[in-house]
Amino acid sequence: MSGGEVTPTPGVGGSNASEFVRKLYRMLEDPAHQEVARWGKDGDTFVVVENEKFTRSILPKHFKHSNMASFVRQLNKYDFHKVRQTNDSGSSANGANTLEFKHPNFRVGSKDDLDNIRRKAPAPRRTQATEDFTTGHHISVLTEQLTATQQQVQQLQELFTEVSQTNRLLVNEVLTLQKMLNAQKQSQHEMLNFMSSSDRNNRHQQSMHLSVAASPLDGDESAPELRRARELLSSVTPDSIADRELERLQGVYGSPADSAVVIPQASMPMMHDPMNDINRYPVYPVGQTVGIDPFHSDHIHKIPYAMPNDSSGGAMQEVPAPQPINTTAAAPSSSNSPSNTSALLWGARKPRIFLVEDDPTCSKIGIKFLKSMGCEVEHAQNGAEAYSRITSVGRDHFDMIFMDIIMPRLDGVSTTMYIRQDCPSIPIVAMTSNIRSDEVHCYFEHGMNGVLAKPFTKSGMLKIVENHLSYLLKNYDPATQQESGSGYVVGGAGYMNPPGSLNTTGTTTFKFETTPTPPATGSTWSPGQMPQASPMTTGMDQGYGMVNGAGQYGMTPSSATRATFPGGISQPQSNPQGRMDNQSPPEKRQRTYA
Amino acid sequence: MSPPEEKTTDETVDLGACDGIDMNTFSQILEMDEPGDHEFSYGIVFDFFDQVEETFETMDKNLEDKDLLGLYSLGHFLKGSSATLGLVKVRDGCEKIQRYGKNENLDGSPEKDSELCLKRIGEALKAVKTDFAEVETVLRKYYNDKE
Repeated sequence: MSGGEVTPTPGVGGSNASEFVRKLYRMLEDPAHQEVARWGKDGDTFVVVENEKFTRSILPKHFKHSNMASFVRQLNKYDFHKVRQTNDSGSSANGANTLEFKHPNFRVGSKDDLDNIRRKAPAPRRTQATEDFTTGHHISVLTEQLTATQQQVQQLQELFTEVSQTNRLLVNEVLTLQKMLNAQKQSQHEMLNFMSSSDRNNRHQQSMHLSVAASPLDGDESAPELRRARELLSSVTPDSIADRELERLQGVYGSPADSAVVIPQASMPMMHDPMNDINRYPVYPVGQTVGIDPFHSDHIHKIPYAMPNDSSGGAMQEVPAPQPINTTAAAPSSSNSPSNTSALLWGARKPRIFLVEDDPTCSKIGIKFLKSMGCEVEHAQNGAEAYSRITSVGRDHFDMIFMDIIMPRLDGVSTTMYIRQDCPSIPIVAMTSNIRSDEVHCYFEHGMNGVLAKPFTKSGMLKIVENHLSYLLKNYDPATQQESGSGYVVGGAGYMNPPGSLNTTGTTTFKFETTPTPPATGSTWSPGQMPQASPMTTGMDQGYGMVNGAGQYGMTPSSATRATFPGGISQPQSNPQGRMDNQSPPEKRQRTYA
Repeated sequence: MSPPEEKTTDETVDLGACDGIDMNTFSQILEMDEPGDHEFSYGIVFDFFDQVEETFETMDKNLEDKDLLGLYSLGHFLKGSSATLGLVKVRDGCEKIQRYGKNENLDGSPEKDSELCLKRIGEALKAVKTDFAEVETVLRKYYNDKE
């Protein structure tokens, strides 16, 4: 996925050399990057020394994206091969984090050979491709261009979503503050009234007692302090123009087409309405009493991590093998006593979930919640135990993992890294109260797919399970998922779509015409769609980019509650899914305890 | 920013009236009980009591040994459990202990003076114990009435 310059750069390679290869060569020639990416010791390989730095600074500069996975893919397309790290020779000098690639015609100082580095033709079209190389070349250049543009659009889209989300938070917050202020003002007036009347009584009694003729003023004039307080209170008048603008903004943000975190205009926040309060907090709706201030900068900053910051490839992962679940059709187990809702929820097979958590209270409740959703649950008390369990049962055993972060023996992040070696695709959701933006970022970087903030709610947990395991749902339908997956919140459900839709299309060749334009969401082009939209992302070979929309909502304990709104709203338009609505009543009931 | 909590009234002992318990969270656990039976939540709550007693003892010991790191991790541990049950006062207290144990002030800024941190932990621990005793009494009464 390199950028779309077609102009050949003088000095590097013959005119036939591919743009990508030339860029690669140029990049290695640049002395500024020697620390990060350089020629191998013998000049016949090249080495990416600092993966992260490379992704962050060099890829954008030379290839106009910052997606390591797609870079590696591109290399593979041109028949570069990864050099295995061995302990002998020069590669041992490089750290464990380095990547080394090799192509017989790619060596230092031999630019002419670059012409011989060709993109591997897609298998079914090989004969055609050799017949008409120039056409193929053009197509590949166009492909690169298109993908780069797609990525740019998506990045802008993400930025926009992020900004508008923040803005929405701020507008709502300002309105709330305003209401509180008004309430306080009123209560102060009440107090003033009360105090001045008692003050008057006092004076009256005093004057009677002292037999001093009361001054006429005393009758209706209160103490100077009280008077000043009144003056102060009335001196501040609200800026009605700004207020109207705020209300208008809230109307804009509240419009269903735009957002999932809908604040219905008809039910503007009333101070004591729990339902509205939930809606008002798109991040941590549990409220003050449960301890996370939704507007703490940490959490507002956290929002971006919900989105694939890796651009289109980021939302994807390789499909090294079909999802284990797709192939196995295990008989539904009835070992648990599923509650009434769970019977409705899952299809032929119940999800098997692995809960890794050291705190007995959390794990008991987590297990109970999951079982009540009709899932089968296994539990491990620490990372080491979890890892050995997973290695012994094999990668197909569990459908999903909830992972505590701070645990004895092996922490959740390290455990995830170990598990990822064997199971690149199983969803792993961090379950933690450590949700500062850098912490959350770290979880995603190390291969986790979502965050469930502690203390978690049943609905929050359920939403995450549904998002990640939507293909196990009883009424799962890839087609509708694709449509509904485009919504901002429901976008998380898109995570499992790629394997599903790929299995049906069964090809990884370029098919731009498959790009869906969701009628339901109109202008929004959600990242959730990218999996379907970008053919370049199929077969991505780095699992670490699996950050996706689900993450965002994963962090919010009540995402389920909120998600019911978009579901309900988009339904009249195009979403035939009934499941959101089926589930909303119990959640709402639960919420009204607030 | 959240509005004052509405009290639930359908309990024999009004747990919602105890400001150490967040009913939002705790009612979720009660909902997991089978009808007419409180085995599940009872088990969780009373196991938690045991866990807290143990943790307090270890904390006292860590305090004597000036083991900030131990206090930090115990604070974290108990914070998680209490938060899960909605025991907000205990949770807040544990968070303080966790912060001080990490040589931080409550706002997260670093505090180099370990003695000061230990002193603050001592105070926080005392307060947590009081807060815990309060919710413990309420919860025990709640379950006694149910028997």
